[in-house]
Amino acid sequence: MTSGEAGHLTEEAVNDVLIGLSSPEADAHLAVCQSCCDRLEQFRSTMKMFNQTSLAWSESRPSTDLRAAVRPKARPAIFVRTGWALAAMALLAIGIPVWNHESRILHSHASASAPAPSDSETQIAEDNDLLRSVDAVLSENEASPLSDYQLQARPHPRHKARPELRNR
Amino acid sequence: MAAYAANTLEMGTAAHGGLKSSLTGRGESIRELDDIDALVKTHWARLLRFVTYSTGDPDLAETITQDTLLRAYNSRESFRDESSVKTWLTGIAINVTRDHLRTKKYKFWARVKSTAIDVHEMSSFIPAGGLNPEGQLLAREKVKLLSGIIGTLSQKQRTIFLMKFSEEMTVNEIGDVLGMQVNTVRTHLHRALKAVRGQLGADQ
Repeated sequence: MTSGEAGHLTEEAVNDVLIGLSSPEADAHLAVCQSCCDRLEQFRSTMKMFNQTSLAWSESRPSTDLRAAVRPKARPAIFVRTGWALAAMALLAIGIPVWNHESRILHSHASASAPAPSDSETQIAEDNDLLRSVDAVLSENEASPLSDYQLQARPHPRHKARPELRNR
Repeated sequence: MAAYAANTLEMGTAAHGGLKSSLTGRGESIRELDDIDALVKTHWARLLRFVTYSTGDPDLAETITQDTLLRAYNSRESFRDESSVKTWLTGIAINVTRDHLRTKKYKFWARVKSTAIDVHEMSSFIPAGGLNPEGQLLAREKVKLLSGIIGTLSQKQRTIFLMKFSEEMTVNEIGDVLGMQVNTVRTHLHRALKAVRGQLGADQ
């Protein structure tokens, strides 16, 4: 329903035109009715005046300098990814030769030095024999202070031979 | 002041979502967003006017406008060219306004102190535009009257009214920004227009 009294647009139809949702009937009526056009124009001119005035007021208000508040522009993701890829490649280009060099040095050191022989029971027994023979030679050449008093050395009954000495 | 804030909490929930869903391309507008000075120069006054009338508090509006432009600049990578920068910024402003009005700090200070729009000061900015003194006086009175009427609308009606008649957005754009059906936007506009035209005068 677009027509009201005297065939003019209803308030709802006028509002629809102002909103931008006019019907073809309303458009047809506005093409021939100056009175309804004036109703629209009245509101539009008031709004225009309001918009100009309020915009002039807000333009008079000082705007803030936001340059200091903004954070630096984030680089596009493609550049970030490319940067990481280049860094990884550089790391590999330096790291692989260094690692190869180090491992080569380690390998040559390892092959140059013979593995230390582990002490076997036979070896220990041979060492003990050698030490005993050395002791015997030394004790023969050195006079015991006990011999001056015609005494013989005896092991103390409470002193047990230490295991490490027993092996000697 | 409290009336201005009351209904804001319900608004703008889909402002970002609605835009994000409809934005798929990038173009010339991103260059505009790359320069913070140009962004301020182009959009500061318009956003400040919108937020001032939306909140009814010019001091708060300055803070919100500043936050809106900063948020837009910092998230400009997410802007897609399907809507205009102006529409995108308006959507952000609505969200920032809602966030500000939700804070406890704001609620406290709103009770203690609030600055209202000085309609007398505002109307003094009326453009001369070839009007004689009498015409200027009438125009000033009309602007003051309309400012007052806009202030009596509900938050939702006021925001939608300003988006349509000050920001000159289409009903579809308003629906996208606010996440509303076109018919819902239309209903709010009808109610707002009924109140505004009814109070402005019979022949509006």
